Amino acid sequence: MFTSLRAMREYLVMSKKSLHDLVQEVDPHEQLDEDVEDALLQIADQFIENLVSSSCMLAKHRKSSSLEVQDVQLVLERHWNMWIPGFGTEDIKS
Amino acid sequence: GTQLRSCKDEIFFDSDTLQKHIRNLVREKGLEEPGSDIVAMVSHATQEHLKNLVEKLAFIAQHRLDIIRM
Repeated sequence: MFTSLRAMREYLVMSKKSLHDLVQEVDPHEQLDEDVEDALLQIADQFIENLVSSSCMLAKHRKSSSLEVQDVQLVLERHWNMWIPGFGTEDIKS
Repeated sequence: GTQLRSCKDEIFFDSDTLQKHIRNLVREKGLEEPGSDIVAMVSHATQEHLKNLVEKLAFIAQHRLDIIRM
């Protein structure tokens, strides 16, 4: 994934900063241990890998050579019970 | 009539690195390069997933402190 150690460090710093912002958004008084930060980032990585892999399997199943928003949407809805608004469809989900 | 307003979409993770990561994963599966909308969607989903987790963790930590105080 990373071309250099520097790129990996930069990615980690960026990810940790994003994670801090997210925690602040949930609860401004909340603080995370470093171990918890690492665990959460690992969970995020696993989530991304699972999501992309399952979406790719769906794209292949419909005999397409490219991954589309609908593939990701279906996996998110069926596996994670999640709906991300503003992508792919004009329908407004109630 | 209906008035629509929009604001700039903010990507949670560093999008360049995330895009490379997703591109590699998709290429490994033998598919074409994904568009930027896929990257944005995966990023939003990851943000949502982490947010749910952090909310639950904060609740559990508070519960643990309440028990200690009793």
